[in-house]
Amino acid sequence: MALDRLFNVAKKEFSDHITSRRFVIILGLLLVISAIGMHSGIESYNTMLESYNQQLQYMQGAEFDGPAGWMPEKPSIMLIFSAMMTYMTTLGAVLALAIGFDLVSKEKETRSLKSLLSHPVYRDEIINGKALGGIAALGFAMVLALAISLAMLLVFSIIPTLEEFAAILIFGAVTLGFLLAYFAIALTMSTVSKESGNALIYTLVIFFAVSTILPTLGVMAGDVFAGDRPEPPQMAPMPTPSGRTVTATASGGYFTSSSSQTVVRVGMEDPEWQQYEEDMKAYTERRMLINDVSNLLSPQMNYVRASMAVTNPRIATMLSSPYSSIPEETPGLAEALSQVWMNIAALIVFPSAFFAAAYVKFMRMDIR
Amino acid sequence: MIRTEKLTKVYNGKTAVDGLDLTVGEGEVFGFLGPNGAGKSTTILMLTGMIEPTGGRCLVDGIEVAKDPLAVKKIIGYLPEDVGFYGNMTGEQNLDYFARFYGMNARERKERITTLLELVHLDGVTQKAGEYSRGMKQRLGLAQALINDPKVLFLDEPTANLDPEGVREYRELVERLAGEGKTVFVSSHILSEVRAVCRTVGLLAKGRLVAQGTLGEVARALASPDGDAVRIVVETREHLPDIEDPDIIDIERNGNRAIVRAKADIRDRLAAALFTEGAHVREMRVEEPDIEDVFMAVYRR
Repeated sequence: MALDRLFNVAKKEFSDHITSRRFVIILGLLLVISAIGMHSGIESYNTMLESYNQQLQYMQGAEFDGPAGWMPEKPSIMLIFSAMMTYMTTLGAVLALAIGFDLVSKEKETRSLKSLLSHPVYRDEIINGKALGGIAALGFAMVLALAISLAMLLVFSIIPTLEEFAAILIFGAVTLGFLLAYFAIALTMSTVSKESGNALIYTLVIFFAVSTILPTLGVMAGDVFAGDRPEPPQMAPMPTPSGRTVTATASGGYFTSSSSQTVVRVGMEDPEWQQYEEDMKAYTERRMLINDVSNLLSPQMNYVRASMAVTNPRIATMLSSPYSSIPEETPGLAEALSQVWMNIAALIVFPSAFFAAAYVKFMRMDIR
Repeated sequence: MIRTEKLTKVYNGKTAVDGLDLTVGEGEVFGFLGPNGAGKSTTILMLTGMIEPTGGRCLVDGIEVAKDPLAVKKIIGYLPEDVGFYGNMTGEQNLDYFARFYGMNARERKERITTLLELVHLDGVTQKAGEYSRGMKQRLGLAQALINDPKVLFLDEPTANLDPEGVREYRELVERLAGEGKTVFVSSHILSEVRAVCRTVGLLAKGRLVAQGTLGEVARALASPDGDAVRIVVETREHLPDIEDPDIIDIERNGNRAIVRAKADIRDRLAAALFTEGAHVREMRVEEPDIEDVFMAVYRR
């Protein structure tokens, strides 16, 4: 494989993408909606910041009777990016599908692929060039979205710290991984199908399957394979709840993924209740494991988990280990990411597998 | 320049090309004839390195295509049947994209593309290739096949979408290319088209080479049940005298006219014999079999 030929194909594909009406319209829509989301996110952030400042002033000016050593936590600007995450799960995915579903099938339909292959270029250079051009176009869209977000932060006089800036870049990388997953699906379907219409239908079927059906099936599988839910002791006194309820919702247009964990801490004096709590914990963990494993096949769920670790690490930590104690301080970026490493790995493996499938199919494709 | 040895291609258990042995010399304009589905396009796809043969091998300019398709693609040009282009780009942009694969610099590309667009009368056309008519696409296809100034040119049904003027220009172009010493391999099922430009032909039917040679040779080989028998039409002013020659197979007489079937072209000896007999020869010619009929018979097999 020669790089000059690979880049020749990639350059043309990139140019085709960013000048295509389809790409410009969807990207424009994505950027406008993201900007609106960012604006409302910035307003919420400013409100939270104001509240934080008031708490600080109150603690400094008056006698404070809260828990010893308790300090209000400064809100992170990453909360603003939660809105962008929501839009990326729908419009971003649509953008990725839109640029990939006819990449190869259209060339078959217009017979330009035959013309191209009659010139000195290997098939792998063509398919890799197409993938590279698409990745570059999605990267361009991502950079544009982040640049606009940063510009908006600066306009509202919000200057990210170095760690926040790193978090923004990681958020961008995770989002790009998510977009590549759908781009890879679309590219594979385009390679498999003879016609773009069929490629689009297959792509949409897989999109709905992995974004909605699979997470639902994961929950159902969890219910089925985790065994019977433990019953609380019949005759024992009711415990006094002293726990927490964590609810995290990631929604994007038509898709809403919710995860709710209720942890009940009870008086440790009753052995029956102790046993019940241990059984319940084991049951919940089994259920979560099955659910998490099935969700690894869903780019949507992996993206939500990974980006939440960046934008809202405290919630992400609570979601990943509901029985551990509430973190007193927001976990650092590295710690938050380490808890979702499987989701990040899945965001790398998923598109890689589809790209590999597209590659193999394209190399063996019948050109007549 | 082009050679195939037992070239075979099987698609899903169906043999498209069956042990093809073919030789085309350098500078030859070769017509590859055969009905639709005979295996012509499949043969071209193997010769141009687009698909790999199931068996046998093919060589272009001494390079085995399956082993080094890229080296072959650098010295050939290929106009596919129903050629296609990138509809969002102009003809010039399409050619520029293809030219980049040959390592040509910007100036070389510009000069070559300008020359080619003038050659196919698409210079000054600013519309996108997606808006081209079929004829315009075919012209652009010819230009893209010539982008690298190839030694060997493969043309698959080159006149399929051309108007009469386009066909005339195409024929002139092939003549010119032949004059430059290029080898041109024209695949077509239209005999008149091949006859107009090609010096030698090969006839393919059901994946097998039925005959190869000049049009006359191929037609004679296929037409006569006697194989290579030559039919000589003779007309004299007087009643045709008896003629004797060891090569004569039989004579069909009809007054002053006769058709002499001979093992070879014996016109010189025949003329001398008639002169000796004092007969005045009005006409003497080798009767070529009706090529159209002969080829149609093969097509119908």
